[in-house]
Amino acid sequence: MTRLAAHGVGIDVPHGWEGRIVRRTAVNPTERPRPVVHLASFPLPEERGDFGVGVTELMRSGDVFVTLFEYGPESVGTPLFAGVGVPHLTVNLFGSRRLQRMLPGQLGCQLFFTAKQRPFCLYVVVAGRLHLRSSITQVNSVLGALDLS
Amino acid sequence: MTALLTVETVVLVLLTVVVVGLLRSHGEILRRLHALGAGLDPDAPDAPDTRIVLRPRGDLPHADAGLGPAADLSGVGLRDDAVSIPVVGVQHRTLLAFLSSGCLTCRGFWDAFARPAALGLPADVRVVVVTKDGAEESLRAVRELAAPDLAVVMSSAAWEHYAVPGSPYFALVDGAAARVVGEGTGASWEQVRSLLDHATGDEPGRAGLAAGAAATEARIDQELLAHGIRPGDPRLYRTADELTPG
Repeated sequence: MTRLAAHGVGIDVPHGWEGRIVRRTAVNPTERPRPVVHLASFPLPEERGDFGVGVTELMRSGDVFVTLFEYGPESVGTPLFAGVGVPHLTVNLFGSRRLQRMLPGQLGCQLFFTAKQRPFCLYVVVAGRLHLRSSITQVNSVLGALDLS
Repeated sequence: MTALLTVETVVLVLLTVVVVGLLRSHGEILRRLHALGAGLDPDAPDAPDTRIVLRPRGDLPHADAGLGPAADLSGVGLRDDAVSIPVVGVQHRTLLAFLSSGCLTCRGFWDAFARPAALGLPADVRVVVVTKDGAEESLRAVRELAAPDLAVVMSSAAWEHYAVPGSPYFALVDGAAARVVGEGTGASWEQVRSLLDHATGDEPGRAGLAAGAAATEARIDQELLAHGIRPGDPRLYRTADELTPG
């Protein structure tokens, strides 16, 4: 495991996985950019969307891609972010229709939650249902060690 | 008139002395350069090979001062990001390019990496540029040099770990074997390519690795066929929604 920490997020990157904690450049002066965490069990392209555009197309069977996207404080307390605490993934949370971009063989999971008064979206894509359980175990291990300061 | 002729004669003599002195000095410089092996004719039989040679790891002139074991990369990226890139325990190879924004030789490599299709790299080789930390390197200059799709990590720790003597420097890491299989420097991308060719030729284990993967794939195919699952079988494409939880 490699410990990666930046912008108020600390995360353990599993062995052989790639990790980034990025904060996008503000588009306008009033915008305050929030951190986005990307984890992948395969090489991440440099040019990629927050929710995997440019990434999931590259996934092969057994690959896992994780996005943890933080929203602004105005989202705290809204119904979408009513879930409190970092979620624990299970198989039945995944489905091919829960993908932002539906690609053959891929399963996705998208969860909104609030932790430490910070609203997040967790988006996970797994390529190949045969690898779903083992992938979930790994992602849950990462989420268990997530540090939001 | 006589005085003018005398002055001209004196000036001519002085100029002759100066020219002779310069010619002697030039001759001495050439003689010493030749003695150092820097002859002007590169095809001369006694001219030493002054090219920078890329060596596989085992050929290092002082192995004890050479690169250490391969290690994953951690550092800072160019987009206000923290970066962790694995090079060990992965199935591909990684070419670590230790570059800086200041060295003129590096400029050619920054330009070369902006055209990845022209690099002629094997499909299993990923290029990652490693610069020193922001305290020793200009983030703005590196941003201007790096292509948008080029992986760049700013990590002085990586420079220390790989015992990089200076930029440009390259290390080819075999992720599956978790070892450095080639290292060295070069003045051009063509020379670095020779590092890759050389290192690949020194890897008897890679053929076995590929054969092992093919054997695994063949075994899986046989097991699926034994259970009546053929290509295109809908059971291969069931979603998790159709699986029984638990």
